Amino acid sequence: MIAVTTYLLRRLFALVPVMLVVVTIVFLLIHLIPGDPVAVILGPEANAQQIEDARRELGLDRPLHAQLVRFYARLLRGDLGRSYFLDRPVTQALWERAEPTLVLMFSGLFVAVLIGVPSGIAAGAYQGSAWDRLLMMLALLGVCVPGFWLSLNFIYLFSVRLGWLPVAGYASIFQDPVAAARYMLLPAVSLGFSQSALIARIARSCMIEVLRQDYIRTARAKGLAERSVIYLHAFRNALVPVVTVIGITMAILIGGAVVTEIVFNIPGLGRLIISAILRRDYPVVQGVVLITAAAYMLINLLVDVVYAFIDPRIRYV
Amino acid sequence: MSEASAPGWARRLLRNRAVVIGGSVFLLLVLIALFADVLAPYNPTRLYPGERLRPPGARNLLGTDEFGRDIASLVLHGARVSLLVGAVTMVLTSAGGVVIGLIAGYYRRLDLVIMRVMDGLMAFPAILLAIALMAVRGPGVWNVIVSLSVVYLPRTAMLIRSTALSVRELDYVLAAQALGRGGLAIAFRHILPNCIGPLLVQATFIFAYAVLAEAILGFLGVGVPPYVPSWGNVIASGKNVIREAFWVSAFPGLALTLTGLSLNLLGDGLRDTLDPRLRRE
Amino acid sequence: MRPRTIPWTAFTLTLVILCLAGLAPEAAAQKKGGVLKVGNLGEPPTLDAHWTTATITEVLAQHIYEGLYTLDAKSQPIPMLAEGMPAVSKDGLAYTFKLRPGIKFHNGKEMTSADVVASLNRWGAQSTYGKTLYARVAEVRAVDKLTVEMTLKEKTAIVLISLAVPNNAAAIYPKEIVDKFKPAEKATEWIGTGPFKLVEWKPDRHIKMVRFDDYQPRKEAATGYGGRKVVYVNELLWIPVPDAATRVAQMETGELDFADDLDLNAYERLKSSPGVQAIVAKPYYWLVAVFNKKEGLMTNQKLRQAWQAALDMEPIMKNVAGGHTDLYRMDSSLAFVENAPWHTKLSGLPWNEHNKDKVRRLLKEAGYKGEPIRFMTTQEYKWMYDFALLSKQQLEDAGFTIDLQVVDWATLVKRRNNSKEYDVFTTGMGNFYDPTHHIYLGPNWPGWTDDEELNRLLTELAREGDYKKRFALWEQVTRTFYDRVPVARYGDLFGLRAMRGHVKGFDTSLMRPRFHNVWLDK
Repeated sequence: MIAVTTYLLRRLFALVPVMLVVVTIVFLLIHLIPGDPVAVILGPEANAQQIEDARRELGLDRPLHAQLVRFYARLLRGDLGRSYFLDRPVTQALWERAEPTLVLMFSGLFVAVLIGVPSGIAAGAYQGSAWDRLLMMLALLGVCVPGFWLSLNFIYLFSVRLGWLPVAGYASIFQDPVAAARYMLLPAVSLGFSQSALIARIARSCMIEVLRQDYIRTARAKGLAERSVIYLHAFRNALVPVVTVIGITMAILIGGAVVTEIVFNIPGLGRLIISAILRRDYPVVQGVVLITAAAYMLINLLVDVVYAFIDPRIRYV
Repeated sequence: MSEASAPGWARRLLRNRAVVIGGSVFLLLVLIALFADVLAPYNPTRLYPGERLRPPGARNLLGTDEFGRDIASLVLHGARVSLLVGAVTMVLTSAGGVVIGLIAGYYRRLDLVIMRVMDGLMAFPAILLAIALMAVRGPGVWNVIVSLSVVYLPRTAMLIRSTALSVRELDYVLAAQALGRGGLAIAFRHILPNCIGPLLVQATFIFAYAVLAEAILGFLGVGVPPYVPSWGNVIASGKNVIREAFWVSAFPGLALTLTGLSLNLLGDGLRDTLDPRLRRE
Repeated sequence: MRPRTIPWTAFTLTLVILCLAGLAPEAAAQKKGGVLKVGNLGEPPTLDAHWTTATITEVLAQHIYEGLYTLDAKSQPIPMLAEGMPAVSKDGLAYTFKLRPGIKFHNGKEMTSADVVASLNRWGAQSTYGKTLYARVAEVRAVDKLTVEMTLKEKTAIVLISLAVPNNAAAIYPKEIVDKFKPAEKATEWIGTGPFKLVEWKPDRHIKMVRFDDYQPRKEAATGYGGRKVVYVNELLWIPVPDAATRVAQMETGELDFADDLDLNAYERLKSSPGVQAIVAKPYYWLVAVFNKKEGLMTNQKLRQAWQAALDMEPIMKNVAGGHTDLYRMDSSLAFVENAPWHTKLSGLPWNEHNKDKVRRLLKEAGYKGEPIRFMTTQEYKWMYDFALLSKQQLEDAGFTIDLQVVDWATLVKRRNNSKEYDVFTTGMGNFYDPTHHIYLGPNWPGWTDDEELNRLLTELAREGDYKKRFALWEQVTRTFYDRVPVARYGDLFGLRAMRGHVKGFDTSLMRPRFHNVWLDK
C-alpha cells in the first residue's frame, strides 16, 4: 500500500512540469492570433473603455512573462476567464457542458472495451484460426474507417431507413434514463467501434505474448485443459497491459467524442469548442483545451496507479 | 547478380504481403491525386445549379451534390488536398522530429527541457489541439499542415530520442567519440541509420493520421475553406442531404477509408520487416 | 305536471344542454397544459429587443415583451399597451398616448409612464427604426402616471407604424432595467409585460418561457400580432438545433413540436410525413447582397451596377429553393407582394438582366482591374451561403474576382458594422411595414447608404401624409434604388416551417411565428 502511494506521489510530482508546459501552451494560443486579439474578440462596436478593460482582463497590457505569471496565478485561483459570447465565467460554461461529454466518453469506452477486449483475447488465444483472421480484418477496418463517417452511416441505417433510433439529441440520465439510453446508443457505438479495433489488436498481441511465456508451457505440460490455461493464467496476465492501452486510447476517445458530439447534436464540450471557435470566443477555446488535457493526464495517472497496483514490479522503477 | 548483393531488407519488404498490397494501393492513390486534373471529368468547383443531387449515373459517375458539383471530380481533387496535407505533415514531423530527437538524445541538459515540452504537447488529445490551433490561425491548407505538424511532432521526436539514447552508450559510438569525432558526425553515421526503420514506420502512420485529421477538421468546419474540394468538406455537405442523396457523403468516406487502409497496411508491413524491436517471429 | 316542477325541469334541461354544448368538439377545443418544444436555428445574439434587427431575437423577444402598439392582420398599427389610438394635436406635432392601467411586468411591478418614457428613449437611441423616428422627435415625456406625450420636430406619418413594428421593437422594459443597461449595451435581464415570461436561458441547451399568470389580455379578438392573447401551454421551450437536417429529423420523430427555417430540401419529405404539417412561410426574405458604400471597392457605383447586371437570378433562386418552384418567387418590388399597400409593379428596371455586354462595359467604366472583392457570408443560414456561392461563380464568369469569406452569423453581424472588414455581405430582408423603414436605404444600417436623392425622397415620405402621394414617391424611390444599387436585390425566398399535428390554434398567416393562443391537443 505504501509503495503504491509513494508511486502515486512520485508520478504526481513528475506531472507538475508537464502541467506547466500545458498551461503555457494554452496561454500562448491567444498570442498566435494574427492581428489584435482584442479587436477580433470584441468586434468593431467596442468603445475605448471596453477595449481597455478587455486588454487588462486578457492580460495583454503587460510584457509576455508578466502575463504568463498572471495566467498561472489566475488558474490556481480557478479563474479561467470570461466567455464573451455566453456572458459568464468560462468555468461555468465548462461545468454546464461537462455531463454530456463525460457520459458519451464513458459510454464509448464501455462499448469499446466490451467489443475489443473479448475479441482481441479470443483472437490471440486462437491465433492463426479463421476466427482470428476475421477479427483482425474487422479490427483493421475499424481503425481505418473514419469515426464521423461511420456515425453518418449509422444514422442513415438505423435512424433514417429503419427508424429504430433518434437521429440526434441528448437527454440527461438523471432526468430520463430510457430516453438518455436511446439517444446515446448510436453515438456510443460509433465512438466505441473505432476504439474497440485498437483495443482488440493490442489485446490480441498481449494474449499471444503471454501464451508464449514459460509458465503457460508449464501449465500445459502439467496437463491442464486448454480452456483453463487460457482463463486461469493467460487471461489475467494479458489484462494488465490492456489496462494501459485503455488509458492511451482515452486520449483518442476524448478527441473522438468532440467530433461525435457535432454529428449527433449533443450539447457537450465538443460542440462548445466548435461554436466558441466560430464566435471567436477564445477564453472558452482555451478552457476546453486545458480541461481536456488535464483530464487526459489524470486518466493516465489513474491507469498508471492501477497498473502499479496490479504489477508490483512497476512500483520500484 | 548474386543473392547477397540485393539488400536483405528490400527483399524482405517485397515479400511482405501487407507492404505490397498497402504500398501499391497507396501508390495508386498518389497517382490519382497527381493526375486528378486529367482524370476528373468535370471541374470540381464548377456549380451546375440545374443538376443538383443527381444519383450516380451516366453523366456523373458518382452523382452530384446540392450545387450540381460532380462528386467523382470532388473526390479526385479532394485526394490532392488530403495527400498534400499528409505528405507535407509527414515530412515536417519527420525532419523536425529528427532534429529535436537528436538534440534531446545527445545533449542531456537540453533533453530535460525538450522532454517536458514534448510531454506537454502530447498531453492534449490530438484533434483538440489541432482544432485550437486552427481556431487561432484561421482556415487554410497551410495552417492545417502547420497545426497538424505541431500536433504530431512529439511522437517522432520521442522515437528518435529513444533510439539516440540507446545507441549512445554502444561501444562503437564511445569509440568514435574517443577518436574525436564530432557529435553531428556521430549522429549521422551511427544514430540515424538505426532510426530509419522505426522512423519510416512512424512516418507512414503519421501520414495516415494527418489525412484523417484534415478530413475531421474539414468536416467540423475548421479546416480548409468550405468551397475548396476536400474529402472532409464534401462529407460535411453530404450530411445535410444524407436522406435524399447518401452518395455525397458515401464516396469521399470510402476514399478516406481506402487511404487509411492502404497506409495502415503499409505501416504494419513496414513495422514487421524494418523495426527490429517489434519484429514478430 | 305540477306548477312547481316546470321551472326545475327547465333549469335541469338547460343545464344538461349547456353541458352537452360544452362537450361539443368546437367548444372543448383549447386544452391547457403541456410543453411546446420549438426548434431554433441557433443561439440569439441577445434577447434585448432594442439591440438588434436579427429575426431570431425578434421572434423570442415578441413573446416576452410588448410595445405600445402592434400590427393587425392587415399590418396596420393597433393598440397593445396603449389604451387606444393616440390623440394627435391639430398641427400634428404632439401625440398623446394613454396607457392601460394595471399592466404588470413579470417581476410584479406595475407599468407606468416612467417605464414607457425610459424604454422609448432607449429604443430611440439604439434601434434602427427608433433612430429613424427619433430624428424627428423633439421630446418624449410623462404627463401623468398613465399618459405619455411625444412632441415632434416636424410632422411625420411614421409614428404609429414605427412603434408597432415587431422587429427591433419599441418594447417596454421596467425603468430600472433601462437605467441599468445603456442603449449600446445588451440588456442581460429580460423583464417584460408579455404573455410569456423568461425563466431560464441555458446557451446551447434551451430558452425556457412559461405562462405569465398576471398577463392582462386585450378584449378584442386576436388579429395579426395583437388582440387577445391567451397562453394555453404551460411551458414554451426553445431548443437551439443549429443543424438544419437535424431539425427536420427531430420534427419527424416528434422530438420537436415546431420548427422554423427548415432546410428546403426537406419539403417533399415533410409534405408526405404523417403527423407533420409542412407550412410554406410567405413572405420570408428577399435575398440581398449588401455593399459597403463607406469605403472600399464597392463605393464605386458602376461596379455595383455591374454586379447587378451580371446576375442571372432564376437559376440561383431555384437552386436555393431546393429545386422547388413553389418555394421562391421572382419579383423586383422592394416591398413584398403580400404587403399590398406598398407593392410596386414597375417595368423596365435593371433587375435580373444578366447582360454580359452591359457588365463588361460597366466594369471598364468602373476601372475595375480584377481586385478581389471580399464577399462575407455564413453557413448558418444555408440559403445565404448557397446564393453567395452561386453568385460568386456567375460574377467570376463575368469578370469579377470574388474572395468569399465564410464566417458564423454572430461574427457576420459584428463584422458588418466595421467598414474595414468587408466589401459585400449576404442577408435577407424581411417585411417592412412602411417605406421609411427600409433600413438598407439609409445611413444607419451596415452598408451605409447615403444617397442624396434617396435621402430627399425618404424625408418627403416621412413628412407626407397622403397615401397616394406617398405611393408615387415610393415608386420613385424604387427606380432610384435600381439606378444607385445600394444593395443587390435577388428574388423572394419562402420559408419552410413544420408543425406536429397536435399543435392547434397556430396562425399560419403570420410572417413570424407566435405561440400565444396555441394549444396542444394530446
